[in-house]
Amino acid sequence: MKRYGEHRFPGKLFVVEGIDGSGKSTQLTLLHQWLQAEGYGVVFSEWNSSPLVRETTKRGKKKQMLTPPTFSLIHATDFADRMEHNILPLLKAGAVVLCDRYIYTAFARDVVRGMDPLWVRELYSFAVKPTAAFYFRVPLDVAMKRILDGRSGVKFYEAGMDLGLSENPEESFHIFQHRILDEYENMVPEFDLTTVDATLPIEEQQTYMRQIVRAKLAQAKRLRVAP
Amino acid sequence: MRETYAAPLPGMNLAEMTGKLIVIEGTDGVGRSTQIRLLRPWLEQQGRAVLDTAIKRSELAGKGIQQAKEGHTLGRITLSLFYATDFADRLEHEIVPALRAGFVVLTDRYIYSLMARAIVRGADARWIRNVYGFALKPDATFYLRIGVDDLIPRVVFSRGFDYWESGMDIHPSEDMYDSFRKYQTELLAEFERLAKEYTFEVIDATPDVRTVFEHLRAGVARVLSGEPREPLFSVPMPAGEPAEAATKKVLEMPAPAKAAAPVSEESAPAAQPLARAAEGDAST
Repeated sequence: MKRYGEHRFPGKLFVVEGIDGSGKSTQLTLLHQWLQAEGYGVVFSEWNSSPLVRETTKRGKKKQMLTPPTFSLIHATDFADRMEHNILPLLKAGAVVLCDRYIYTAFARDVVRGMDPLWVRELYSFAVKPTAAFYFRVPLDVAMKRILDGRSGVKFYEAGMDLGLSENPEESFHIFQHRILDEYENMVPEFDLTTVDATLPIEEQQTYMRQIVRAKLAQAKRLRVAP
Repeated sequence: MRETYAAPLPGMNLAEMTGKLIVIEGTDGVGRSTQIRLLRPWLEQQGRAVLDTAIKRSELAGKGIQQAKEGHTLGRITLSLFYATDFADRLEHEIVPALRAGFVVLTDRYIYSLMARAIVRGADARWIRNVYGFALKPDATFYLRIGVDDLIPRVVFSRGFDYWESGMDIHPSEDMYDSFRKYQTELLAEFERLAKEYTFEVIDATPDVRTVFEHLRAGVARVLSGEPREPLFSVPMPAGEPAEAATKKVLEMPAPAKAAAPVSEESAPAAQPLARAAEGDAST
């Protein structure tokens, strides 16, 4: 079994990370459009989307059956399925793979839920190291405002309600996301994450991302010549 | 105080688990479930509350694993982690509460089967040990040992070859028989390595159900009475010593006085014919 490390496949792997409301998904969508227009074979993979595992996770969340270890393990199972059936074969085939959230999401959430940091890192050691991992750094208040403006409320696990931090979902969400933020900040040097200032205008962030991605795409295959 | 192999789960208080955790391990079709069906009423007759649990029985993941195994896209790491999810759910929601309530927990397989399967499928041994680092150390693990030649007739004359038990996912070019032989041989070798590492108490599973039960019952009685394991058990098998010799030693162990009564029709359900011994293993 391959352990976490530099892969030697012809494909490229770019991932975005950050707390909810950091704008990472918006940026990844824009990157996706650009790479397609440039003629690359691009594939997108989202956290928590394995068809084999999704039903179990959904049920566990709906019935609030998940505890820190099962929350951690079911997400690792989901990730493993996408790794084995999606990400790895695509990288071997030379694709550009884009992931909305990657192992760092698990490291942040699971550790905040009380799992041993080394245990979680070892759990995901089958993952390949991304070509670049973008971390969208945003102050908590900015992210909170974006989220709470945009929807009716936050879900049970999203708000970390399982940790019993507060009876009030919004308050629990705030405390939980604050801890997640701290974990991300610790991971920036640990995993050499590329930080993006997520308070800048959207176009500026995108320009910065494209610059970095372009430099890493030297040998990636293009399916067709860019128009 | 109970121990775990590595860091315990968050919030898990390891004190006051007054029950006993007894593991029955062994390969597919060796007769584990049959033995548990005999052990349970025997323990209950003595006034012991019993919880029995087995792989894939978790409320969270049991169904999901079953569905995933029926398809054809289940990868090896994914399968291992799905099982780990099932295990963690049962540990927190069944095993630990039962141990706190003073139950005897009989578990049909434990982390060892799951580790053996993963390792045979190419998983990194260090990785899978880490995954199960939060598992509680059991009070005893009884390993039902059988050779592949004795195993094959049991499986053939009960439920036949199963896709996963034959390792068809890793030896797909073979027919079921060849694949079963090859896969089970690898699995049994891995079990032997685990038996040494985790000091299993080995029970020869080749005799009839009743004989196996007598040995198992003696071992369980000893664990419940709090008597220490015979020093003989703790001595690791010397390198190069044939497996048969070690098995024999175990079988010659004098049963503790409490368990010395012979198995009678009253105290335990009648032994079942050999062909049915394997039948109950459909749980995996």
